[in-house]
Amino acid sequence: MHNGLDREHKAEIKADGRIKEYAHRLMTIAMDRGCDGAEVCVNESDEFSVGVLEDEVDDYTVSSSFGLGIRVQKDGRNGYAYTEAMDDPEGFVEEAIDNAETVKSEDIHPMAEPAEYPEIQKKTDALKDMDESEKIELCKALERETKRCDGRVKRVAYCKVVTAGGRFCIYNTLGLRAERSDRVSCCYVEPVLEDKGQMRDGFAFRADGEALDIAGCAREAVDEAIAAMDPAPVAPGKYDIILRNDAMASVLGAFAGMFSADAAQKGLSPLAGREGEDIAAECVTLMDDPLYPINPSPFDDEGTPSVAKAVIKDGKLETLLHNLKTAKKAGVKSTSNGGRSSAGSPVGVRITNFYIAPKEGTLGQLISELGDGLLITDFSGLHAGVNPVSGKFSVLCKGRLIKDGRDVRAVNEITLSGDFTELLRSIVRVGGDLRFSMPGGSCVGSPSVMVRGAMISGRGDGGQ
Amino acid sequence: MISRTSAERVLNAALATGGDFAELYMEDGESHSISMLDGVVENAAYSRARGAGVRILSGTRSAYAYTVDISESALVETAKKASAIIKGEGGGVLPFTDIRDGNYRCRIPFSAVDNAKRVHLLKLGTDAAKAESGEITKVSAAYMDTDKKVLVCNTEGVWAEDRRPRTRLAFTAVASDGMEFQTGQEIPAFGMGFEAYELIDPEKDGRTAARTAVTMLHGVDCPAGYMPVVIDGGFGGVILHEACVHSLEATSVARGNSEFCGKLGQKIASDIVTAIDDGTLPGEWGSIRYDDEGNPSQCNVLIQNGMLKSYLVDRLGSRIMNQPMTGSARRQSYEFAPTSRMTNTFFAPGYDDEEEMIRTMGEGLFAAKMGGGSVNPLTGEFNFSVLEGYWVKDGKIHCPVRGAALIGRGADVLMKIDRVGMNMWFGHGMCGSRSGSVPTNVGQPRIRVSGITVGGKGGRL
Repeated sequence: MHNGLDREHKAEIKADGRIKEYAHRLMTIAMDRGCDGAEVCVNESDEFSVGVLEDEVDDYTVSSSFGLGIRVQKDGRNGYAYTEAMDDPEGFVEEAIDNAETVKSEDIHPMAEPAEYPEIQKKTDALKDMDESEKIELCKALERETKRCDGRVKRVAYCKVVTAGGRFCIYNTLGLRAERSDRVSCCYVEPVLEDKGQMRDGFAFRADGEALDIAGCAREAVDEAIAAMDPAPVAPGKYDIILRNDAMASVLGAFAGMFSADAAQKGLSPLAGREGEDIAAECVTLMDDPLYPINPSPFDDEGTPSVAKAVIKDGKLETLLHNLKTAKKAGVKSTSNGGRSSAGSPVGVRITNFYIAPKEGTLGQLISELGDGLLITDFSGLHAGVNPVSGKFSVLCKGRLIKDGRDVRAVNEITLSGDFTELLRSIVRVGGDLRFSMPGGSCVGSPSVMVRGAMISGRGDGGQ
Repeated sequence: MISRTSAERVLNAALATGGDFAELYMEDGESHSISMLDGVVENAAYSRARGAGVRILSGTRSAYAYTVDISESALVETAKKASAIIKGEGGGVLPFTDIRDGNYRCRIPFSAVDNAKRVHLLKLGTDAAKAESGEITKVSAAYMDTDKKVLVCNTEGVWAEDRRPRTRLAFTAVASDGMEFQTGQEIPAFGMGFEAYELIDPEKDGRTAARTAVTMLHGVDCPAGYMPVVIDGGFGGVILHEACVHSLEATSVARGNSEFCGKLGQKIASDIVTAIDDGTLPGEWGSIRYDDEGNPSQCNVLIQNGMLKSYLVDRLGSRIMNQPMTGSARRQSYEFAPTSRMTNTFFAPGYDDEEEMIRTMGEGLFAAKMGGGSVNPLTGEFNFSVLEGYWVKDGKIHCPVRGAALIGRGADVLMKIDRVGMNMWFGHGMCGSRSGSVPTNVGQPRIRVSGITVGGKGGRL
């Protein structure tokens, strides 16, 4: 009987406590039951969050989480199981084996072998040395600052400070021992403004190195609400538009699944087989860089060392995003995009730090260059309005009307629709104001971009 | 999961710093999922989630802490973490005398079912979808079951146990002519054991998903503008869910973040509209026997003949709003503090003829299948996508149209409903909000809205 765990590994695992001992036991049981390989993933995290309302703590959460997943390989098939309770190891492994025997896909999904991992540049965390009472004070200060910004702030709907940390480990019978940890901190605020009977809300966040910038956060959130005052729709038709950095990032995030080689191989992406083709305007370079300092990671969720790559370079689709399975099927190397939505989820493909490379120009410059058109600042219900299988979208949005390069008024109840790659091809200008979405497992970013001839519809077309 | 004496010690620790109410929530659940693509099983997974959360209230302030370690010492430690922020007059722990047993008995528990039976259901639906048309290029199918045991006990002497088996299938068919791709989806789901599959016909659902995809492949871009829209029953109820009832949740109302604040007893919808949230319906996907604060689930009439009758109120909301709790507290898991949520939400059946409402609408949109959507509760602005739509001309179905989205404000749409049909049925979904993602049913009979904005590519017929 072959057992991938040698003596040395056993010793190392034992030294590291109860979890590793349990992990080792699971792998031993799996091998004893005739599996060809086994892998254990462990996710531990802790989180602190405080919400303030009217200068008092309103909502306060402290947590510690743990989850452990096993993947077993049997006759070339993978089976998965996940638990938050470390009991009954035999029964648990049996569930995973039963699942491996259920899978019929012919695709080989190898496990990662031990490898050298790149050094990562630790990101800055402005709240790192704060204790809980200091975080509460910070949260209260953010609320006060938000109210002070403008006389129209009626109240603050949500005002929060969140800090979280996690540790993710993978052990497998090929000898892989991969461990990484991360921390994230952020504050966010949602003020409600009232003016002439209109209620408008705004939102802004500051994360990690910028998490102490409560003045900037408050100002941005309040400005966002003010910018939505006195809106009117516009007549439907083709418009030149600017997608503000955060709005463009949210569209990019909604279509990120199109770049998955897994989706492509399953025939569920319009980008299947289009590597090497021009799919975007020449000014567009799209990066997926797990080492980027916004959220750096030495390896992906299946243990492949992180590599930075251009997904689209100067308009050309360079590569899709691969994990070990899709890479093997395509005869290429994994792009370090193996993803697990939890420690027990089947390995899929995910983006890491996924962003359009910035060029030059502020939003203000782009607006003055636009001439007549629309500035789109926010999308609603993106999850429902996009179809990553077809690349089509039709999404409610709001923004500002621009005339002669000047901001005129708020625009609401309009819909932007089209095809995502068509949108990428219609980009005529990429700004320099790269900004990332709220921190999370994946970070999506974009500068503001200018698009010619976007299709806008909404009320105003034969309306009342 | 825990003895009553241990639970009492945890609750005592929670009140040590002067909280006036404390609650311990525990869960232990198993689930199985299988995914299939074009008839081949791609993945199979099992998961076991177990953990506990302690919540403490002091007036309208709350603290929450949770952990995966359910030993008494860990729970006491967790209670102390939550209580660190609480300062108050305090309260006591009453003995557990209010015992509530919601233990649902599955006829066929999932633990008694093997994967072959699960795979068979996926295969039936996939084969039926493929057989429907040569234009179907892909069929993906997914199976899920979960069986969760829940315990909620609190310092008011409540000890409530619930068991929540649920299962669902999802079939997604892709139709393509080589250039265009269109999808259709069916998701049958119930809140019961494997006996649910005596009620579900996977072949019918697979065929329906395929038909939607093929129909839309031959559709044209939907004209945009302001027009009458007929919305079919079932998942069409998402209009009520998004455009109205999210704004009736205490989460929005208690802090004044809803357009329906202070409107109890006022007319907010046309006279023919009655809307209900009923968590007690046996075996339904969105049902619960006890809510996540241990209160019995209720049938809540939210709007009666156009008048606003009730909000959805959890314990904290009840304290802020000074209104009774409605058995509506829900959470995805122990990782979330509970808040007011929907269960099975629907427009009650009316008296109108389903054919007549199309015949007399002139020109407009018939939204046969709705997709998902979202709403801003403060302004009531919503949008949702139409997955299967037909253009109506001179009161007759003219052709399939695609890419349509319905946009508007909840308060406007409710007042403009001018027909409510006689047959109500449900669609099944997951609803995401502050306390995570919970299973909910949306439902309605076929209804007509006299005018609503249709967004989309703005095609010309």
